[in-house]
Amino acid sequence: MTSQPKQPAVEVRNLCKNYGSVRALRNVDLTIEAGEYFVLLGPSGGGKTTLLRTIGGFHKATSGQVLLNGRDVGHLPPDQRSTTMVFQAYALFPHMTVLANVGYGLSVAGLPKREVAEKSAAMLDMVGLTGFADRKPHELSGGQQQRVQLARAMVLDRDILLLDEPLAALDAQLRKDMCLELKHLQEKVGITFIHVTHNQEEAMTVADRIALVADGELVEHGRARDIYRAPERRFTASFVGENNLLTGHVSDVNGVSCTVDVAGAQLKVQKRGKEVRGGQSVDLSIRSELVGLSRASDANAGADGHSILGSYDESVYLGLTTSHLVRLPNGVEMISRSISDSLDDMPEPGEPVRLHWQPEAIRLHVN
Amino acid sequence: MTDDFANPWLYRLKWAYMLLIVTTLMAPVMYVMYISFNANGFGANEYVFTWEWYGLIFQDQLLLGALRWTLSLAVVVTLIAVPMALVSAKLYKQSTNKLPIVFLMLAPLFVPPDILGSALLVFFKNLNLTFAWFGDLLGVSFMDGWFQLGFSTAVIGLIIYTIPYSFIVILITMGRYRSEQTEAARACGADGWRAFWDIEFPQIRAGVFSACSFTVILCFNEYTRTSLLKGGFDTFTTVLISQMLNTGMSPQSYAMSSLVSFIAIAVIGSIIVFTMIRSDSLSRTARAKAAPVMST
Repeated sequence: MTSQPKQPAVEVRNLCKNYGSVRALRNVDLTIEAGEYFVLLGPSGGGKTTLLRTIGGFHKATSGQVLLNGRDVGHLPPDQRSTTMVFQAYALFPHMTVLANVGYGLSVAGLPKREVAEKSAAMLDMVGLTGFADRKPHELSGGQQQRVQLARAMVLDRDILLLDEPLAALDAQLRKDMCLELKHLQEKVGITFIHVTHNQEEAMTVADRIALVADGELVEHGRARDIYRAPERRFTASFVGENNLLTGHVSDVNGVSCTVDVAGAQLKVQKRGKEVRGGQSVDLSIRSELVGLSRASDANAGADGHSILGSYDESVYLGLTTSHLVRLPNGVEMISRSISDSLDDMPEPGEPVRLHWQPEAIRLHVN
Repeated sequence: MTDDFANPWLYRLKWAYMLLIVTTLMAPVMYVMYISFNANGFGANEYVFTWEWYGLIFQDQLLLGALRWTLSLAVVVTLIAVPMALVSAKLYKQSTNKLPIVFLMLAPLFVPPDILGSALLVFFKNLNLTFAWFGDLLGVSFMDGWFQLGFSTAVIGLIIYTIPYSFIVILITMGRYRSEQTEAARACGADGWRAFWDIEFPQIRAGVFSACSFTVILCFNEYTRTSLLKGGFDTFTTVLISQMLNTGMSPQSYAMSSLVSFIAIAVIGSIIVFTMIRSDSLSRTARAKAAPVMST
């Protein structure tokens, strides 16, 4: 007997969504495996919420397919899909108690009252709200309200939980705490979470995989660590982490690497399979924490292909780290980030400095 | 008074102004109530308290008949106009192009009542003639009386008159409702109707009931359209006005007017008192619960 291959939880094929002349989603293809914590990350207005709501049945796709567990559900309304949703805010039913809110979906499903009460109480316990059952939503804090939403969604025992910026209305500390709670809950229940956010720290904390969505397109997707450490696209590098973006022209191509002319410096960069030709305009990215800073002197003045000269601008103290801003000869600003106080002797503004990095730290982007 | 720097005398003056306005508005009603208990009726030198006129109300078949007609009109108009207004308000909320809906729904307010009433009168008469002619062509007579002046034409006229008010009242309460709640209910498995009935309606119920009360009051209050479209001066307001114009109001008319006012004030007053008590009780409960309960 051969076992059936496991169906992906969500498959989106060539999905388009138009609002009149505005194209909110353009030919999006995406596969999300069952049990994954998947994050749709991107700037506001990029289409990530539209994609989530189309998966959930709150929008009808203009063209393309949405498959949940292998079944085309494009024609089904939200109440007939195997998804449930946590909204950004204002989605609790204010006239019902917390317990009634959590049990609403079970009541709709026709479960006996006793079973509804038992399951709801158990789920409240799971999200840490035992003792709050008789309260009304307005008697809860923002974080507690979001936990009630989570309980209301998870008690339904659906395969896929959609989270539309669930932490956006919370303060920074609460958001951090809730991120971890969400991650632990997902690991505990094992269902598929699809989480929309514009906050990269939130995305990094919870995600198994991240997809970047901007201008209605799926820019790039992959494991959270890969998206951060090895962005393929320039947009990803600009949106995730603190990357220095440099634009230059290819001056030499040899084997696995090429040389790019940036602000008079000849920078060597690995091609990583990308096709480039001499004279082509390309982008380079390098994370600010991988850029070292030293005073320009005779000892380190040689052009090694992995450093660039500039003049020191200023430093910005950020607590744990300090960002050092350096102006290149072409006017572009680069940032070198280091652990605060690790640089004892800070350069003076206007002093010539050299920014340097390991050969594998810099990445090539070809559009 | 919430502004610590406000002049306390100005604050008291505002209260006095408000009381003056309310007294001015209510004084005529109070005066009618006062007369309704006078055994010697309106304009008498001597005031003798009596319940007699209230007892006679139930023997005045003209007044009772008028009250019955108006109540029937009010009930039917409410049952039709308020759901229509509710559906229109929901359409307004869902629509991206809201201006045409508001214009269409509020248009009847901008037509003077006698013009609208007479326009409808002419329209119904022509419609009646058309159906009678069409019936003659077909050799049938059942359509002849469809648009003869009577209860149904008065109902149509009153619906046109009351629906803008219901629409506005319901729309105001809908303004606080967040559509995310309907979506959340759908995400919990509720279909569109269930989401409306379980989640939205309980939150706009006050507006719907207010629209019902408002419609009933408007039906009692209306004279021009009702008198033109009902055919015969036999509704409550038309009877009172024709009495006043022709023979002067009878003592039992004062009693009937007062009784209706008493009932309206009692009903609306009870709703306000109940709402205030409930609101106070809810805030006390909320304060009691505000003692922190630690989540685990």
